[in-house]
Amino acid sequence: MMNYFPDEVLEHVFDFVTSHRDRNAVSLVCKLWYRVERYSRQRVFIGNCYAISPERLIARFPGVKSLTLKGKPHFADFNLVPQDWGGYVQPWIEALARSRIGLEELRLKRMVVSDESLDVLSRSFTNFKSLVLVSCEGFTTDGLAAIAANCRFLRELDLQENEIEEKKNHWLGCFPDSCTSLVSLNFACLKEINLAALERLVARNPNLKSLKLNRAVPLEALQRILMRAPQLVDLGTGSFVLDRDSDDSETYRKLRTTILKCRSIRNLSGFLEVAPHCLPAIYPICVNLTYLNLSYAAGIHGSELIKLIRLCGKLQRLWILDCIGDKGLEIVASTCKDLQELRVFPSDPFGAGHDAVTETGLVAISSGCPKLNSLLYFCQQMTNAALIAVAKNCPNFIRFRLCILDPTKPDPVTMQPLDEGFGAIVQSSKRLRRLSLSGLLTDRVFLYIGMYAEQLEMLSIAFAGESDKGMLYVLNGCKKLRKLEIRDSPFGDMALLRDVGKYETMRSLWMSSCDVTLGGCKTLAKKMPRLNVEIINENDQMEFAPEDSQKVEKMYLYRTLVGPRKDAPEFVWTLV
Amino acid sequence: MGRATSSSSSSIDSNNHQSLSSSSSLSQLKRDLSTDLRLGLSISASQHNSSSTPRVQTLDYPPIQSLVAEGNECNDHATFFVKVYMEGIPIGRKLDLLAHDGYDDLIRTLDYMFNTNILWGAEVDTMHPEKCHVLTYEDEEGDLMMVGDVPWEMFLSTVKRLKITRAGPC
Repeated sequence: MMNYFPDEVLEHVFDFVTSHRDRNAVSLVCKLWYRVERYSRQRVFIGNCYAISPERLIARFPGVKSLTLKGKPHFADFNLVPQDWGGYVQPWIEALARSRIGLEELRLKRMVVSDESLDVLSRSFTNFKSLVLVSCEGFTTDGLAAIAANCRFLRELDLQENEIEEKKNHWLGCFPDSCTSLVSLNFACLKEINLAALERLVARNPNLKSLKLNRAVPLEALQRILMRAPQLVDLGTGSFVLDRDSDDSETYRKLRTTILKCRSIRNLSGFLEVAPHCLPAIYPICVNLTYLNLSYAAGIHGSELIKLIRLCGKLQRLWILDCIGDKGLEIVASTCKDLQELRVFPSDPFGAGHDAVTETGLVAISSGCPKLNSLLYFCQQMTNAALIAVAKNCPNFIRFRLCILDPTKPDPVTMQPLDEGFGAIVQSSKRLRRLSLSGLLTDRVFLYIGMYAEQLEMLSIAFAGESDKGMLYVLNGCKKLRKLEIRDSPFGDMALLRDVGKYETMRSLWMSSCDVTLGGCKTLAKKMPRLNVEIINENDQMEFAPEDSQKVEKMYLYRTLVGPRKDAPEFVWTLV
Repeated sequence: MGRATSSSSSSIDSNNHQSLSSSSSLSQLKRDLSTDLRLGLSISASQHNSSSTPRVQTLDYPPIQSLVAEGNECNDHATFFVKVYMEGIPIGRKLDLLAHDGYDDLIRTLDYMFNTNILWGAEVDTMHPEKCHVLTYEDEEGDLMMVGDVPWEMFLSTVKRLKITRAGPC
């Protein structure tokens, strides 16, 4: 029936299909749909920049306006991937600049970005509106200056957790006076900023809805900025510290009055530096908050955190440090009935945290917040009984990431592995898409995961399992698995090679400090030409002509349509 | 967040590998990790004291992006400077209360700063003639109060400035 409609009608219908996956599915129906879909596609997501080339992207989707690219594997966040591994955005920007693509939005994660790339980007796309860089590196504030100066219709500049070299230039001052289109600005990851330029910028951008400051913005400046921008929805404070002197109580009073006017703030973060006695200034807006991130706010005692949380009845997402303690989590459980996402970070990851949280806090949360669907929880210990209770109270987990600070710690009450606890989680949360395991775990937990985690897409394993059977349970059972990352676990060639076709259904597999050998990896590479099987050979761990029986320290494999990458450094070997 | 910390490579040599795979029991793992530590892989001075848990810092664990870890490991980002005057001396000093973890620590610093012995809390009730000074503070309401009566955290939330006054004739 749809074949009798002109293309424009099909296109109009497809406009309502927005998710990447749905559009991908649409394109597979028939050649006609493929054609209509590709010309009308505006947003493209590429989860691995080495799976495809910029030329093929441009050829297939000439109308693309928004591109998302991801580079390094996830474990790069934890220092497991050496410098210069790759993930360069330059070839993408060059290719797009040469083409007729009218790029408006670029979102990059874990990629290497250079000042030159930013410069080319800023000058090649007249309608460029939005730049989002997450966990990227390789550029300086000179690159930011180019973006500020040349992107005349810039709406969004969002810098999250990047490593940026800061030059003496005042890049923020490079926004011309005519720039009045900003909606979102986040520079929290920088150390410095030109305050005067910032205040002028905020003053002339009345549509600013999201502003995240850095540590260099003192409280007095925050007050002046909020006076200019009471319409903010999303605020990241910079430094939140004042002396208790009489000169500063005037500033504090002004801040309190100004904050009272900021009735639109729903998301609050920052507090990169904070003095507890300043916190009451934000009490008036707590009642409206749906997102609160205090995970950088070192130095606030649990009791202060509790006073704050008690006011936040509408909270849906909370990111906090473990100094809130189990008692504090009980308060969260009784106050934040709409809570969907909780992240508890360790304030002292490498020591014995006395204020830390345990299974008690998590059970309290699960019992008070049944809507909880996303969890990241760093804790000292966990029990099977607690996990079973959590599974029962919260059957809606989409993301469940548990990190016990001692990675192989058993249930301290029964001294058993945590297989049963995680088993309960995967059995009860039928929509679970992401799971990270920790604690003492045998092959049994993987049996449960393979049996029950039907929607699982990403699994992170560290120091777990006993034999190849563990990995096999997962590869056989989890039909929707896309990303598997494993470290320090006894999985070897037998598991790796059992079902080589599986890896073409996945984005990538990372295995480090496991038992896979060079020979096993070579065999896999030979059988599967559409996988890049890369060995990272740091510090010349492998000799010049290593034996096939030698274990591989780090292996990263991913499906690709464009063969071995040409930009691999000499310590990365692509096996063929 | 591939932040540049002292990126210790997470290399465990192949000997440790074999023992890990043959039996991943906890004691085996602990023995292997402590071997790593004895081999002098870079470890920080503050060693974890618990006997049952091995240090895994050298192995890039826990999986926390280093800036969050660095930022939160040391709680000295927050400061709280107050003025301190000694009776009879017109020029005051400034002191960061948050750099101290309690009254004892604070008194020690003040004794050193002002080269005196300061009475506080219960000591004031049993006066020693050779100790000449007491520590008082001005609170939010402007009243002059004796230091040491309330818990440290409560003190931090109300103190505005400190004053060292003479206890009596000395």
